[in-house]
Amino acid sequence: MVGAGMPAMNVRTAIPARAGVGLRFAHHRAVIEERPPLPWFEVHTENYLGGGPNLRALEDVRRLYPVSLHGVGLSLGSAQGLDATHLDRVADLADRIEPSLLSDHLSWCVVDGHYLPDLLPLPMTEEALTVVCRNVDAAQQHFRRQILVENPSSYLRYRHSTIPEWEFLAAVSRRTGCAVLCDVNNIHVSACNHGWSAQAYLDALPADAVAQIHLAGHSLRALEDGRAIRIDDHGSRVAPEVWALYRQALLRFGPLPTLIEWDNDIPPLDVLLDEAAIADRLLSEADHDARRAVAA
Amino acid sequence: MMRAAPSLLEVQQAVHRAIVDGVGPDPEPFIVGGSIEAADRLAIHRHTAQHALVKTLALSHPVVRKLVGAEFFEGAARHYLQQAWPSMAWLDAFGAGFAPFLECFAPAATLPYLADVARLEWAVHEALHAPEPAGLDLSRLAAVAPDQSGALRFVAHPALRLLALNQAADEIWHAVIGEDDTALGAVDPLTRPRWLLVQRTETTGAQVMRLTEADWNFAAALCKGARLQEALEAGAARGVAQDETLGRLLASACFVGFTIDDRGPP
Repeated sequence: MVGAGMPAMNVRTAIPARAGVGLRFAHHRAVIEERPPLPWFEVHTENYLGGGPNLRALEDVRRLYPVSLHGVGLSLGSAQGLDATHLDRVADLADRIEPSLLSDHLSWCVVDGHYLPDLLPLPMTEEALTVVCRNVDAAQQHFRRQILVENPSSYLRYRHSTIPEWEFLAAVSRRTGCAVLCDVNNIHVSACNHGWSAQAYLDALPADAVAQIHLAGHSLRALEDGRAIRIDDHGSRVAPEVWALYRQALLRFGPLPTLIEWDNDIPPLDVLLDEAAIADRLLSEADHDARRAVAA
Repeated sequence: MMRAAPSLLEVQQAVHRAIVDGVGPDPEPFIVGGSIEAADRLAIHRHTAQHALVKTLALSHPVVRKLVGAEFFEGAARHYLQQAWPSMAWLDAFGAGFAPFLECFAPAATLPYLADVARLEWAVHEALHAPEPAGLDLSRLAAVAPDQSGALRFVAHPALRLLALNQAADEIWHAVIGEDDTALGAVDPLTRPRWLLVQRTETTGAQVMRLTEADWNFAAALCKGARLQEALEAGAARGVAQDETLGRLLASACFVGFTIDDRGPP
């Protein structure tokens, strides 16, 4: 259920439907001093849970741009529930930064009080669906706002899964009122790794609930015997197949705030601006198409 | 052998053990293999988690890494992971035990200063990431009646750290941070204790200051919440007047609050 008393904030309207980039420490100074022509930035929530110079830099950025907080540590799939201390830390940061969007992943990373710094896949079962919905409800109640839940990249599936991931994510959104963060690169990576149809995944997501899109680069890791697996390492430009899938996503969801993520081998800011410009071009085309469709 | 359809908690506990140390129930029977075996799929996650933690330690201990080299550092960090694993998703708080670990790490026994360098790095790291407090209202402090000043108990800034290290560690840290090879080469292995105060600054991040032993003891007593009068008297008993030290500590924002305790010691 959507928490009673939760403000009916529609995150679709909070950040412009244009391309922002993920802000990493290496670019703090350049962004604050040079004020690049970008409409918004997203940061990893867990990088700013303490105080000091990094938090001050984020506050400086926030005075100049809208900011989205993207978490990797809520562990929305934890069977044992959410960590109250972590929730408080994230809520404190959100109070300070007033982010336009607040998101995390359809995955887990905490069990028995141990944190695994990775986004681990969930078995797609009715039990896991109940757990995730309970945790998303708890997070939205705690933050007193809607959160976005992102589809993960995955490298393994469980034998006892009974629900396709896209249906699982749609059900989480339907039952909790959370928004969906559609990571187009993750759909491509998971679809390639598991033999799914990326287009079918996209088509199954609830269009009204999708509020943001992520784009990133991935790599192909060679294993022995010529086998290979796609790894979502955010260390390169967006792949051509992912740009193509992004076009399909815009056709289905309309223009949405879109993020260029780059976390490893971080390039100069100009490279990120280039990637954002490509996304912006596709966004304006989608916007133009949507207006033409309405006019017709 | 676990039953065919494990609970979510059973899956998470098994995957956790497989990623951390391979001890406990094997999650592989739960995982779809296909062209890539379950073990190889799990190995991707083990690699990601361990790589993230080694990188986290490298970011908080850059001087240690520079002193021992990237390969040795990574080996030491992986050994450390066998006994320490983060309990929360705030990775800036992970690594407090790395310095004590290095002290007992046999391959580093030839570098007796290494653990102290790591202690200093960790203090600097903590100073940089400690929560933001509300600053001390000096006008409120100035309004305390003179006859009550001895009853003050201060609250230390959360970013303040006091360390007593051997001199070589301190000088090595300064030389490596300053990229000063001459100073590094001149470090005297015969060492005395060095009394250090680490504090966050508005402009440069963190600074490491050397104190006298008496001033360090005075600061340590105040940070532990001793009454000002007792702290001053302890110095006076050793023939040291520390009113000016107090002024310097206040001026460098070492305290963020105070209470007045006129009930007396302890």
